[in-house]
Amino acid sequence: MSGKSIRISRRLLVATALAAPVLQSRVARASGEVIVRTPGGVYDDIMRRHVYDPFTRETGITVRPVAATTAKLFAMFRANNVELDLIDTGNGQLITLERMGALAPIAYDSWRWSKPEDITPELRKRTQVANFVYCTVLAYNKETFANGHPNSWAEFWDAGRFPGPRMLADMAAGSPNLEFALLADSVPKNQIYPIDIDRALRSLSRIRPHIRRFWDTGALSAQMLSDREVVLGSIWNGRLQTLIDRNAPLAYTWNEHMIQVQALGIFKDAANVAGAQRLIDFMMQPHVQAGYAKELIYGPTNEKAFSLLSPEEIARMPGGERSRQTGFYQDVSWWEDNRDRVNRAWSRWVMR
Amino acid sequence: MSDGSVALEGVTKRYGSETVVAGISLAIPAGEFFTLLGPSGSGKTTTLSMLAGFVMADEGRVLMGGRDMTRVPPRGRGLGMVFQNYAIFPHLTVAENVAFPLSVKGTSKSEIAARVAEALAMVKLTGFETRYQRQLSGGQQQRVALARAIVAHPRVVLMDEPLGALDKNLRYHMQVEIKDIQRRLGMTVIYVTHDQEEALTMSDRIAIMERGRIAQMGPPREVYEKPQSSFVASFLGEANLLRVRRDGPAVRGPGGSVLVAAEGGLSAAEGLAFVRPEKVRVESGRAEPAPNRLTGKVLHASFLGNIVRYEIDAGDGATLLCDAANAAGVEPHRPGDIVTMIWRPEDSRFLAA
Amino acid sequence: MPLGRLPAWLLLAPALLLLIGVFLVPIGWFLVASIMELGTPAEIWEEVDAVLFSGAVAGALINTNWIGLVVTLLVLVIGYPVSYALSRAKGVAFTLILLCIVLPYFTSTIVRTYAWMVLLGRNGLINQVLLGTGLISEPLNLLYNRTGVVIGMTYVLLPYMVLTLYAAMKAVDMRLLQAAEGMGATPLQVFLRVFAPLTLHGVIAGVLITFILAIGFFVTPALMGGPSDIMIAMLIEREVELTQNWPAAAIMTVVLLTVTLILYGLYSRFSGALEGGAKP
Repeated sequence: MSGKSIRISRRLLVATALAAPVLQSRVARASGEVIVRTPGGVYDDIMRRHVYDPFTRETGITVRPVAATTAKLFAMFRANNVELDLIDTGNGQLITLERMGALAPIAYDSWRWSKPEDITPELRKRTQVANFVYCTVLAYNKETFANGHPNSWAEFWDAGRFPGPRMLADMAAGSPNLEFALLADSVPKNQIYPIDIDRALRSLSRIRPHIRRFWDTGALSAQMLSDREVVLGSIWNGRLQTLIDRNAPLAYTWNEHMIQVQALGIFKDAANVAGAQRLIDFMMQPHVQAGYAKELIYGPTNEKAFSLLSPEEIARMPGGERSRQTGFYQDVSWWEDNRDRVNRAWSRWVMR
Repeated sequence: MSDGSVALEGVTKRYGSETVVAGISLAIPAGEFFTLLGPSGSGKTTTLSMLAGFVMADEGRVLMGGRDMTRVPPRGRGLGMVFQNYAIFPHLTVAENVAFPLSVKGTSKSEIAARVAEALAMVKLTGFETRYQRQLSGGQQQRVALARAIVAHPRVVLMDEPLGALDKNLRYHMQVEIKDIQRRLGMTVIYVTHDQEEALTMSDRIAIMERGRIAQMGPPREVYEKPQSSFVASFLGEANLLRVRRDGPAVRGPGGSVLVAAEGGLSAAEGLAFVRPEKVRVESGRAEPAPNRLTGKVLHASFLGNIVRYEIDAGDGATLLCDAANAAGVEPHRPGDIVTMIWRPEDSRFLAA
Repeated sequence: MPLGRLPAWLLLAPALLLLIGVFLVPIGWFLVASIMELGTPAEIWEEVDAVLFSGAVAGALINTNWIGLVVTLLVLVIGYPVSYALSRAKGVAFTLILLCIVLPYFTSTIVRTYAWMVLLGRNGLINQVLLGTGLISEPLNLLYNRTGVVIGMTYVLLPYMVLTLYAAMKAVDMRLLQAAEGMGATPLQVFLRVFAPLTLHGVIAGVLITFILAIGFFVTPALMGGPSDIMIAMLIEREVELTQNWPAAAIMTVVLLTVTLILYGLYSRFSGALEGGAKP
């Protein structure tokens, strides 16, 4: 969409103009607190144990995780009423926020605990740095597919050989699984982007009769697999691993998984930019990353962290060497440029 | 239903442990205007409901035209009904309201139109066909209810306090009209009211109800003049009830005066002597010693227009009401005057206390 | 000074200020700001055209109205007898029926909807019972399709219909029904000629309020529906949340708001009739 950048700058103008008379309600906060947007739930507990509490012990700065949807982050910025400092979210949203001019540069120069050069270069950007990578994998029910399971998205699409209800991601989950649809339609991994939306949707139409539901949240995808609403599906590896650890008869293939990135960014107008910079620095340390990555079963972004993990742990880590060979990185900038277009095409397709 | 006769045989209704109607029996011949009169809670409305079929009797039988209707639902009884608050359907016009009893039976349109016009003419509401309830006065609503009750030419019409909500003037008019219509159509009317005057004016016979039973039943004059109990005597109009006791062959009242009555000898040692105020003659001066003559002192004299009502102290704590006609040339007595009260034995009865 | 002497506008003022402050101003700001940022009227029209006549909005509007209609009819059919029972019940029976109807409102929508998933799922209670008794050989699809949406929404909306009908039925003078019966009407005639017409305005009000609420539904269809069960509110949420296309969201909001306000105008007319007693 060519008009996008123009639209955003105009949107900025409107937002600023309208926000001017609004009372500046930003409460003066002690610099002794950093407020972080997180995905919430179990994630907060794990991060508190491995990052926030040790950080507080080290610096005296407390960390408060809060929930906020992407729309709320945008609204905050547009109303000139930024209520939090650090944003821990998908890298796509951070790209959009950066384009809006909402983010402060990451102060790599002032890092004391971590070394910027240890971070995987592709994951180290001007206004955002990744804190872990995760991936969307092909999961299946071991009992249903005791005698052979689908090993690729082409096989996932083969409902004759592998019958049973299945699921894929919905637009509402952030992005639908157009990449997998192309792989199933024999597009090579390195030629997925730019995505041919029509071709992807045509491919999806072929498997659609066997899709019980397109999932929109991680919780729903996990629930449908564990309740046997579906016996095959795409799912985030961390969500799946939790089920497997609870002895659900589920497994996944490492083949053709999509690697996605969670990253950190700082609102440039935040009350405690300095504290947020220090928290990022602290979070990037190899031993800190190894701690939470192990529990989340998401891959660390500090290369040095891998040496602190056992071979079995590395084997199941997204972004590890094996993962990088068999999987592929999602191209978020393509998604940020095309989400509007995909959304409309998807809405039309899905209602057909 | 072959004719308009109605009968109850030992009909009883209980709600829980409370007996509301206790074994009532009565027989109403076709064409009679029969009134159930009583204070609230005496069982008159429940009795009417059992006649209508809204309430099923626990014991006894309900007969109409000789047929047993005890278990027949309301729609099988073919009655006309006028309800206490008229029960005009607010969503229907006057004509539709009146047509209701016919249309639910599937009567043909042309016949309905003719009958509705006839019924509305009878209650003098021609021209009001398309109005709704809220466009009608209380009296007009009453007429609609009446027209609706008679439109199907029922042999029996039940009316539950139909004039209760009307003012006095209108009430009198409607009493006359209802009576007139009843006579013209020759239908049996069973009428419930707590207004004794209305009952006396309209009825062929009255049944006075007391705590689920019939205290007395008969033509208005008989019930009024010859009450069989102090309840009936005092419920229907004003009554003097004087405490009396037997003294050998004589019966003595206030101040030891001897009282006599044509009917109803005193059965117990003590009782009451009944006499209506208008039957007592008041004369100046002390009484001569003779039966049914009492000396008293005027306490109050109230001018009520056509009559003067005296309240007279007869001694021994007995106070009598006496009504004297405000006739030509009669000089009224004043409070403090000593007077004599006189009445005929045939105007008096002894009743159980 | 007793409250009764205060002018009505003063008594309403706090509620009105709250409504304006937390509802009208933000929504107005959102609509105006979002649409304004599109630029010139021509540009705005271009976007309106693009949004309204894209297949998605048309499809969602059809879905929304169809689901709203089916749900409203179901709620009416189920709610009418329940309301009748409620309007005639006394004491413990009344409390029990009322409790059964409003109890679901003590739990959150999410919890309630997850409870439905346990019941209606492929391996849920209902399917297990049906399979166990041999009534079906394949699990029924009760969830993640339109059936699921309709079941879920019917359940959530039932109380609105029941309470609206209850008010109308409670206002019916029972003596009118008895009178009709006394005048020879059969029970069916009593219902069709007296009770139904006297509660008709309640039915209309209930139908409108249910439909108004139904077309704004978001959570239940999102959680219990299938891929194609997209209602207009879901589409709006998606534009706001996912693609940050606020102008498009604003345009759709105006469409939904317009439909809702028109229906609300009708509703207030009929609920006014409800208060003033039956009008022909």
